[in-house]
Amino acid sequence: MYGADVEQVAIELNEDPEKLAAFEERIQRGEKIEPGDWMPAEYRRQLIRMISQHAHSEIVGMLPEGAWITRAPSLRRKLILLAKVQDEAGHGQYLYHAAETLGATREEMIDALLSGKAKYSSIFNYHTLTWADNGAIGWLVDGAAILNQTMLSRCSYGPYSRANIRISMEENFHKKQGQEMIILYSQGTPKQRAMVQDAITRWWWPTLMMFGPHDKDSPNSGVLIRWAIKTRTNDELRQDFINQLVPDLQACGIQIPDPDLRYDGASGNWITGGINWDEFWQVIKGNGPANAERMAARRKAHADGLWVREALTAYAENQRQL
Amino acid sequence: MPDTQWPRFMVFQQEAEGSPFVHNGTVHAPDIEMALQNARDVFARRPEAVAMWVVPAELIYTQTREELQNPTVIASVAERSEAISPTDSKAYYVFAKFNQQDKCRHVGEVEAGSPQAGMHEAIEKYYEVDPLWWWVFPKDAVLASDSEDTDPMFAPARDKTFKDQAEYPVVTMMREIRAKEKR
Repeated sequence: MYGADVEQVAIELNEDPEKLAAFEERIQRGEKIEPGDWMPAEYRRQLIRMISQHAHSEIVGMLPEGAWITRAPSLRRKLILLAKVQDEAGHGQYLYHAAETLGATREEMIDALLSGKAKYSSIFNYHTLTWADNGAIGWLVDGAAILNQTMLSRCSYGPYSRANIRISMEENFHKKQGQEMIILYSQGTPKQRAMVQDAITRWWWPTLMMFGPHDKDSPNSGVLIRWAIKTRTNDELRQDFINQLVPDLQACGIQIPDPDLRYDGASGNWITGGINWDEFWQVIKGNGPANAERMAARRKAHADGLWVREALTAYAENQRQL
Repeated sequence: MPDTQWPRFMVFQQEAEGSPFVHNGTVHAPDIEMALQNARDVFARRPEAVAMWVVPAELIYTQTREELQNPTVIASVAERSEAISPTDSKAYYVFAKFNQQDKCRHVGEVEAGSPQAGMHEAIEKYYEVDPLWWWVFPKDAVLASDSEDTDPMFAPARDKTFKDQAEYPVVTMMREIRAKEKR
C-alpha cells in the first residue's frame, strides 16, 4: 500500500477518494491532524492500536524497576528511581488521553490490558535480577524508547505528537541516570564491573527486539509511513541505536554479547548477528519470562484499588446531593 | 456500583505569572476537586507550573478550521447563536491553537448565551488571529488552583533537580574514559 496511488487506496479502504486525497495532501504539507478533523477509519484504528499499546507499555514498565525502589543502594538512587517510576505513570496518562481523543474509552483500554487482549512492549516481560539492571534499563531500554518517541514527536496526529514531545523530554533524564550508573560501575570494583557486564549481556538482545520485526516482516509499516504516523522504519531506528551504543559500551570495557558484531566501513554501520525472533514472538504471545507475573501484578493493583475508587465515587455522589 | 474510570476533565496550566494558560491534556476524576489534585500529580512533576485550571471535558465546545470552512457548519453556528436570548448570557473563555505543533492557549473572553453563540462571538472578536482550532467554555465551569496553594502544589517539583538531565554529565564522563584509554 505504501506508494500506491490514492484512488487505489481509497477503493481498498472503502473511503471517499476526494476526502482521502485532501487528507493525504494535508499530511504532505506537514499539517497536524486534530480530533474532529476528517480521517480515514484505518488511520484512526492504527493510531488507537499504537497509542494504547504505548500507554500500556508505560504502565507495565513501572513494574521491573518498581521492584527495586526499596532496595536502592543510596538515598539519591532511591529518589531518582521513585521519580522515574512516577514519570512512567504520568506518561501512561498522557498517552491514554491521546487515544481518548480518537474515541477510545479509558475503560475499554484498561480492560483490554487486564484481560490480556492488548499488547505492550516485549521488553517488560524480562526480570530485573540485580541492581545494575536498573542502569541497563535506563541506558539501553529508555535510550531505545527515546529514539522511537523522538520520531513519534513528528507524528501527523497532533495529540500523539504533543504527548511524545513531553515524554521524550522527561525520558532524557531516565536515560542519562542509567548511563551514569553503568559508566560508574564499569570503572568501579571487580564486583561492580561483573554486575554491569552481566546486566548488559542479558538486556542487549531484548532491547534490539524492542524496535519490532524487520521491515520486511512488519505488516503495518507501509500504511504507518504513508500517513506519517511513523516517519522512520523499525530497522532504521534499530541501526541508529546500535551505532550509538556499540562504541560507548566498548569504551566502557563492556563486552557486547554478539560474536558476529562487526563494523562495516562502507556504510559506517555496526552490523549485528541475527536476532532471535522466535524468542521475540514467544514473549509477544505471552510466554516470556515474566508475562504472567506482570499481568498478575496489574490485575492485583487494579483490584486492590477498587475500594479507593468506590470511596471517591461515593464521596462525589454525597457532595452532589448536599 | 460500576467500576468506571470517571468523567474526563481538561487540564490547563500557566507556566509563569502573566503567561497564558495552555492546554496540557486530561485527567479522570470523580469530581472537579479531585481532578485538580490528579492534574497536579500528572502534569506538575516538573517545575513548569504556577497555576492550573480543570474543566469538565464535555463543556468544551470546539471548532476546527476544517469545520469552519464548511458553510453548513458556519450557518448552524450562526443560527444557533441567534436563537438564544442575550438575557441569560455569561462569560466564556476563548482558547485557540495557532501552529501545527502548538497546544491550545488562552486568547480572551466573550459574553454569550450559549457555547455556540460564544464561538460565534469569539470568531468575530478575535478574527484577526485566525487560528487552526477554537475552543470556548464557560468561565464558571473552571476550578482554578488557589493562589494560596501555589507553593504547596508546585514548589516541591522545583527542588527535585535530579529530574533534570543536565544533572548527569555523561558526555564528559565518556570523554574522560576515552582519554584514559589512549594514555
